[in-house]
Amino acid sequence: MYNLEEETYEDYSLNTTTWKRIFSFMKPLKKYVILTVIFATLLAVADVGYPLINRYGIDHIIETGDLSLLPIFIGIYIGYMFFVALLVFAFIYFAEKIHNNLAYIIRQKAFKKLQELPFSYYDRTPAGWIMARMTSDSRQLSDILSWGLVDVTWGGMMMIMLLTVMFILNWQLTLITITVLPALIALSIYFRKRILKAFRQIRKQNSKITGAFNEGITGAKTTKTLVLEDSNYQDFDRLTSNMRRHSIKAAVFASLYFPSILFVASIATALVFYYGGINVYNEVITIGLLYVFASYVGQFFDPIMQLANSLARFQQAQASAERVISLIDAELDIEDDPEIVEKYGTIENPKRENWEPLKGDVTFDNVTFKYKKGEQVLSNFNLEVKAGTAIALVGHTGAGKSTIVNLICRFYEPTEGRILIDGVDYKQRSVHWLHDHLGYVLQSPHLFSGTIRENIRYGKLSASDADVIAAAKLVGAHEFITKFEDAYDTEVTEGGSRLSVGEKQLISFARALLANPRILILDEATSSVDTNTEKKIQEAIKTIMKGRTTFIIAHRLSTIISADDILVLEHGKVLESGTHDALLKNKKHYYKLYTNQFKASLEPGRH
Amino acid sequence: MKRLRQFTKWMKGYIHLYFIGFALLLVVQYFRSLTPLFLQHIIDNIFGDKASALPGFITRYFIADTIPGLLLLVAVVSVAFTIFRLVFVFFNRVLFAYFMENVAYRMRNTLYDHIQNLSFTYHSNAETGDLIQRTTTDVDTYRRFIGEQLVEVSRLFFLSMFAIFQMALMNPRMTLISLITAPIILTTATIYFTKVKTVFDRVEKAEGKMTTAVQENVTGSRVVKAFQNEKFEIDKFDERSTVFRDESMHLSKLMAFFWSGTDFIIFFQYTLTASFGIYYTIQGTMDPGQFIAFLSLLGMIVWPLRQLGRLVGDFGKTIVSLDRIDEIMDQESEHENESDFKPDITGHVTFRNVGFQFNDDNKPLLKNINFEVKPGETLAVIGKTGSGKSTLMNLMVRLLETTEGQILLDGNDIKSINKHHLRKNVGVILQEPFLYSKSVYENIGIMKRDADQEKIYSAAAIARVHDDILDFEEGYKTKVGERGVTLSGGQKQRVAIARMLLENKPVLVFDDSLSAVDTETDIQIRRALMHYWQDTTVFIITHRITTAMEADKIIILEDGEIKAFGNHASLLAEDGLYASLYKQQTNLDTLEKEVV
Repeated sequence: MYNLEEETYEDYSLNTTTWKRIFSFMKPLKKYVILTVIFATLLAVADVGYPLINRYGIDHIIETGDLSLLPIFIGIYIGYMFFVALLVFAFIYFAEKIHNNLAYIIRQKAFKKLQELPFSYYDRTPAGWIMARMTSDSRQLSDILSWGLVDVTWGGMMMIMLLTVMFILNWQLTLITITVLPALIALSIYFRKRILKAFRQIRKQNSKITGAFNEGITGAKTTKTLVLEDSNYQDFDRLTSNMRRHSIKAAVFASLYFPSILFVASIATALVFYYGGINVYNEVITIGLLYVFASYVGQFFDPIMQLANSLARFQQAQASAERVISLIDAELDIEDDPEIVEKYGTIENPKRENWEPLKGDVTFDNVTFKYKKGEQVLSNFNLEVKAGTAIALVGHTGAGKSTIVNLICRFYEPTEGRILIDGVDYKQRSVHWLHDHLGYVLQSPHLFSGTIRENIRYGKLSASDADVIAAAKLVGAHEFITKFEDAYDTEVTEGGSRLSVGEKQLISFARALLANPRILILDEATSSVDTNTEKKIQEAIKTIMKGRTTFIIAHRLSTIISADDILVLEHGKVLESGTHDALLKNKKHYYKLYTNQFKASLEPGRH
Repeated sequence: MKRLRQFTKWMKGYIHLYFIGFALLLVVQYFRSLTPLFLQHIIDNIFGDKASALPGFITRYFIADTIPGLLLLVAVVSVAFTIFRLVFVFFNRVLFAYFMENVAYRMRNTLYDHIQNLSFTYHSNAETGDLIQRTTTDVDTYRRFIGEQLVEVSRLFFLSMFAIFQMALMNPRMTLISLITAPIILTTATIYFTKVKTVFDRVEKAEGKMTTAVQENVTGSRVVKAFQNEKFEIDKFDERSTVFRDESMHLSKLMAFFWSGTDFIIFFQYTLTASFGIYYTIQGTMDPGQFIAFLSLLGMIVWPLRQLGRLVGDFGKTIVSLDRIDEIMDQESEHENESDFKPDITGHVTFRNVGFQFNDDNKPLLKNINFEVKPGETLAVIGKTGSGKSTLMNLMVRLLETTEGQILLDGNDIKSINKHHLRKNVGVILQEPFLYSKSVYENIGIMKRDADQEKIYSAAAIARVHDDILDFEEGYKTKVGERGVTLSGGQKQRVAIARMLLENKPVLVFDDSLSAVDTETDIQIRRALMHYWQDTTVFIITHRITTAMEADKIIILEDGEIKAFGNHASLLAEDGLYASLYKQQTNLDTLEKEVV
């Protein structure tokens, strides 16, 4: 998957509440956090200690010429070798434990939330946005938190210990050399910020280029017929030139950063050379100590760079953190009251023994509905549907057909008024109870990757193979399924592209039939299929409608005709209702719609 | 050899910069290998009266009477030397960046241009996601390899070579001792980076599976909810998420083993070098300063060694990317060997025995098509889906080339006419027109960027889309596409018509271009257009009889052949397919019987 989504990178100051929330996810990983901190600290100890081993060799063996101490020296070295190898393994291992588990925890929390969120959330949130939270953001956050922990611990400990040891060894020389520290810190912070900013620019440009490629490819036919190749190319060149300019600019910054740090470090080294050298000359310090100081000033900038880097990355990750939190802490618009949860259970622990059977009477009692930030779609809408009736909803786009269906499914709840199922306000019962008795066949059937069998079984997970086949037979899908080499075990590729639209529809019918719902929603497809399949679909529709309360967002004339009642809707109002014949005789709205629209249903394409 | 050409062809024109870059890199790394020698000079030469390992061009500045004076000189010279070195480093880095960005810039532009010019057939079969991957990720892989990875590895390689050189100048025997573990580190690294690739693939696969689960869940959320399968979905996701986590952890463990294991070997090397160093120093074959310099120089060899192993993996990836890019570049542009013939066109179109069949198809899509349309006439082509209607249109603008017969435009075979010229004169309004992610205004004026506002507005008005546009929050400035509003199919079609109104075309083809507009508006628009395009030769491809019936000539197409030819009156009189279609689409009674 490529990411066309634009990320707007602003300068974020660290928001403590967001990070506190993120840190709280790390609670189960406390053990690893402690171990990582311990090992990163030990590593800093090892790093600071290393030059001291060599100093021992220089001052105590070379200077004295006492070879008998050499075995001790070798022993220390070998011990150090094991010590470091162990430390390195441990800190990588535990940091990665945090990394992988934290990403897992974030994903799990987010996914669970996604299952709880009402449909309205999906309506206003693009799929790409959700995907990015689940993949790149969770990865980035866990990476920064785990390795940031290592870097901060190591960097901080290293600085403290380096300075402490230096002061102990020779405080005068230390005071002289650390004069460069403020410059090092200032440079690191200054450049880090600049470089990050420059890279954000580059990423922005990059996503624009990806978008342009996407457009160039998907719009190829139009481009060719309108002969827009040259002007498109010029637009594209503007983007890539920008990209080049920004990239080179960023590179100049980055190329200044490291050398300027090295320059400051070289001043520190020169100070050691001169003052250290004079001290050696005056026999105040040994050559071994001169070596140790020269090593330490060389190590100065490492932890500083790491710390500056971590800080910058935390800032950079701020946006990721906020977006992830906004998903995980998203409020549920539709939630069962606690006492209802008490009685009916939750998604994960349903208390089916308390669930009443559902007959299928549906009543809209003075329902008014308004989408968030939207116009009123329904006002004082009343409707009574007896169990087992098939209702066709007819009308132009925006007439309110989908809204009615969304309300019945409790994907949304009425803003005012009540919806009664079997005479009881459906808010008095749980969403899951309703959905358990609900079937939904989509306009564009959605199949999951997996086999045909698995896709049909999705309607009822406990169904046996025989049930699956029986359902397929009933809707007339068995025939084409068995024609595939692997029959029911044929893999449906992502989005089900191996199957024709008609075949996918039949499979989704089988799925709905298997669920054996009391209330069935049929969001009819407008896409054309060949006549043979069309006939099969019509038959399948008749089969699955039998004995259920069915609501059809209808586009096919034959489906409409077979409904018990037709509701002609406009602007959320029922203009007319009745059977096909009665409405035709009326010669009013339905007649007009019918002559203008449904006759065209012989033609492919939407209307 | 072929690989080398493949690898360097994108660098053309900049390759000298690349060589200069590497030459500079060599100098820079030589300078860097000198840095540990300053301390050696202080210890051995200033305090010990032994030879300095620093080269003459540096030591010649060290002339002073007193030791503090000498120390001051060394300190000052070392800073000056660093500044000198860092100037080189800076320019070297900028040079590589400049090189890399220019190569990438050219690559992107070349690819974009090439893709635009690939044939329509290529585009109909291409997978957008895959193509985008190649033009972005693969380009970036190559860019980073030549500009970052190869440079980094060379930097480390040069550095270790010079470090070995400096060591050898001081003490050849100790140099050998310091290099004992080098082959082991290098081999371990190479093996690790090759092996880790397969593990990495597994992690990616696991992640892909997990991502699929999320994606399907999100896009199918209605189905999930309606069938009450939230728990099932959570379990499915959890399973895949767990696999992904565990595979990642497996990779992490390998990583931990590798880094700690090589650290172990490296410190073993330090143990050897330090122990022998001390021994030789006491023995007198080495000076104390040299011993310290050896420890520093050793660091310049052993740490980089394990990075070298990475090159193998990176190079492999880059080659794969280049192959994928070449697969695009190897496709022939449809404008190759293009003719320069650009005649004036009045709009006389003749189809002479035209047939078309795809190479890999066993059935022709069109055969034996013969007709003639005079300038200003309107021809309607009616047929069902799959009858070959759209192929006809594609042939007229050479999106596809006739495999049999000829299409003549004013007596010239269109194959002899320059393609761009042909398409500029034969305007096509597609059924599913593409709108660019610009404003609606810019989309209408796309072929005439300098068109004035009045013209744009009136074009939109004629196409009956003006009012729709004014209804948008930002009116004509509304952005279209990905990040803007989504226009309905009908609105898109009308915008496509509006943009065609800004230019005069002798021939126009409507490829079902009002199919998403309701019948009433369809008629209104068509009437307005007919008036506007009186002198234009118009082709209307449709399956609506009402759309076709006013045309001067009508063709009924079925299974790639002309089944009937005439005008509305004559065809109706024939009482054939046209008549029955007409009845079907206009007469309710027939329809009802048929469906019930």
